[in-house]
Amino acid sequence: MPIIKRKWLPGEAEEWTKEDLFACILSVLVYVAITIGTALSFFLMPVGFIILGIGIILGIVMFYIIDPKLKTVSEEYEKKQKTYLENLEKIERWE
Amino acid sequence: MVTFSLIDWIWLFAFLGLMVGCGLLFYHLGKRSESDFFLAGRGLPWWLPASSVYASHTATDTPMWVAGVIYRYGLAGLWYTFFAAWCAVSAFVSTKIFRRSLAYTQAEWQSLRFSGLGSELLRGWVAGWQVYMNMFILGWVGIAMGKVCNLAFGWPLWIGLITFSLVCAVYVLAAGFWGVVMADFQQGIIAFSAIMIVSVWSVISVGGPSVIISRLAEIGKSDMLNPFAFTGFFSGDFPIMWFITMLITAIIGGIGMGTSFDWYTEAQRIQSARTIRDASYSIWAGTALVLMRNAIWAGPILAFFILYPNITQQGEYELAWFAMAFKVLPAGMLGFFFASILAIHLSTISTQLNLGAVYMTRDLYHHYINPKATEKQLVWVGRISTVIILIGSFAYGMMMSEEITKYLLFALWIMAAGVWLPNILQVVWWRFNSWAYLSSWIANLIMSWLIFKVLPDFGIIPVLKDYHQFWILMGLCALIYIPVTFLTKPENMDHLVKYYVMSRPLGWWGPVRKEAEKKGLI
Repeated sequence: MPIIKRKWLPGEAEEWTKEDLFACILSVLVYVAITIGTALSFFLMPVGFIILGIGIILGIVMFYIIDPKLKTVSEEYEKKQKTYLENLEKIERWE
Repeated sequence: MVTFSLIDWIWLFAFLGLMVGCGLLFYHLGKRSESDFFLAGRGLPWWLPASSVYASHTATDTPMWVAGVIYRYGLAGLWYTFFAAWCAVSAFVSTKIFRRSLAYTQAEWQSLRFSGLGSELLRGWVAGWQVYMNMFILGWVGIAMGKVCNLAFGWPLWIGLITFSLVCAVYVLAAGFWGVVMADFQQGIIAFSAIMIVSVWSVISVGGPSVIISRLAEIGKSDMLNPFAFTGFFSGDFPIMWFITMLITAIIGGIGMGTSFDWYTEAQRIQSARTIRDASYSIWAGTALVLMRNAIWAGPILAFFILYPNITQQGEYELAWFAMAFKVLPAGMLGFFFASILAIHLSTISTQLNLGAVYMTRDLYHHYINPKATEKQLVWVGRISTVIILIGSFAYGMMMSEEITKYLLFALWIMAAGVWLPNILQVVWWRFNSWAYLSSWIANLIMSWLIFKVLPDFGIIPVLKDYHQFWILMGLCALIYIPVTFLTKPENMDHLVKYYVMSRPLGWWGPVRKEAEKKGLI
C-alpha cells in the first residue's frame, strides 16, 4: 500500500485519513515558511529566499497529497447537494 | 498634511467610480434571490472567494496594528499576525465540514448541529451577537479611516469615518455579495500592488535593505531582524509562552468553528464557493496572501523605525506605514496610494455590511419573524439590514478613539477565550450539546469583562498579560460548560444522524456513526 493514496473511491474519500493529517501539517509549515521567508527575502537575506523556496516546495507536496481526495469528496457531494439544500429551506421555513 | 495634484484626484475618483459602477453592474444578479444577495448564488470558483478573504482581511486598521507590533518587537512581531494560521488547518477540516452543511451562517449551522429549544436559543444568540460585532468591527475600521484622513488631510475624524462607508454602501445595497466579492477582487489587486510599491519605495528611500540592517546594528537593535527574538520563557514583553499559546490557539483552533473571529467572515466565503474543493483552496490561498502581506509590511515599518526609533506613543508609531507612504511617494502617486487605502477600507466595510445583513435577514427575520417570506422580500430586508448596521457602526466608531491594538486584541482573542474550546468541541464531540455551548458563551461574556476590565480596575487582581487572560478564561469557563454537558441530555439522535451523514465531522462521533450505519445511511 502506498504511503500517499491518490486514487479514491467516493466512500473512502469521506473518511478522515492520514492524507488529511499530512495536508494540515504541511499547510502549517508552508504558512510559517511564507511568513518568515517573505520578510527576510524583503531584506535580501539569502536565508529568506531559501525558506521561501522550501515553503513553495512544501505547498506543492501538500497539493499533490490532498487534491485527489478533495476532488473525489467534492464530486460525490455535488450529487447530493440539491436534496440537502431543499431540506435546509424546510428547516428555515419551519415546514 | 498632504496636498493632492490633479492626477491624484483623477486616481481617487476613477477608483470610486469603478467601485460604484461595479455594484450597479451586478445589480441584476444580486436581486435574484436570498442566495444571490448573500452567497453570490453558491457558484464561485476558488480564486474569487480567496481574493475576497485577502481583501476583506486587509482593513484600514490592519497596517496600524501590524505596524504597532513590528515597531515594538521587530520581525518577531509577525507572530502577532500569525493568528490567521488557523486557516492552515481549517481549510482541510472545519471548512470542509461547514461547506457540507450548506448553512448560510454560523448561526444557521447551530440549528443543523443542535436540536430543540437549545438550538433555537443558540441561533438567535449567535445571530444577535454577530450583528452587534459587525457594527463593532465596522466602527473600529471606520474610525481607523478617520485617523488616516486626519493624518493626511487634517479632516475631523467623523468625515473619514462616514464618507467612504456611505460610498461603499451604494454597491453593497445594489448587488449584495455579488458586489462585495467582485469589488474585493479588484480591491485585492489594487491593495496588494500598493502595498508592494509603497513598501519597496520606502525601503529604497532610506538607502535600501543593507542600510536598514546596518543601522539596526548601530543602534543595538539587530534582534529586530530575528523572527524568534523572544524575551524569555515566561519573562519580558514577548515570552515564548505567548508564542506557544498563539500557535496552539491558531493551529488547533482550525479544527473548530468560530475559534477565530474571522471565521464568521470566512464562513460566508466558504458557502459562496461552488464546491468543497473550491472552498478549501479559497480559504487556504486567501490566508497565504494575508501572511505574505504582513511580512511585506515589515519592510517599510523597519525603515520607519530606523528614522524614528524613539517614539513611545502607540497611536503615533501605529501610523508608520501610512506616514512612510505620505513621506516618500511623489506627487501623482499619492492619489494611487490613497485609492489603495480606500480599496483596503471598502473591502472590509462591504464585507462586514453584507455579513451583518445576512445574520439579520436569514437568521432573525427569515427564521423567526417571517418564515414564509418571498425571495423579493428577503432581498429588500437584506438591504434594510445593511442600512441599520451602517448607522449602528457610525455610533460605535465615534466611541472609539483609543489605540486600535488594545480593542483588537481584546475582541479577537480575549472575548473568544472561554468559547475557544467549546467551538472545537461542538465540531468534534457528539455529546457536546446546545446547553453546554450556550452556557460557555454566557460564562465567557461575564468572565472576560471581569478578568480584562472590572477586577483589575478595582485593584482586586493585577492587570494580566493577554496570554494569561486566555488560559485563565479557558479554565474558568470549562468549570461551567463541562458539568452542564453531563447534567443535560444529549441531542436528539435522529437529528445528529442527519447532521453526521451530511457533514461527516471529524472526532468522537462513534454512537452517531453506528446509528447511521444501522439505518443504512452510510
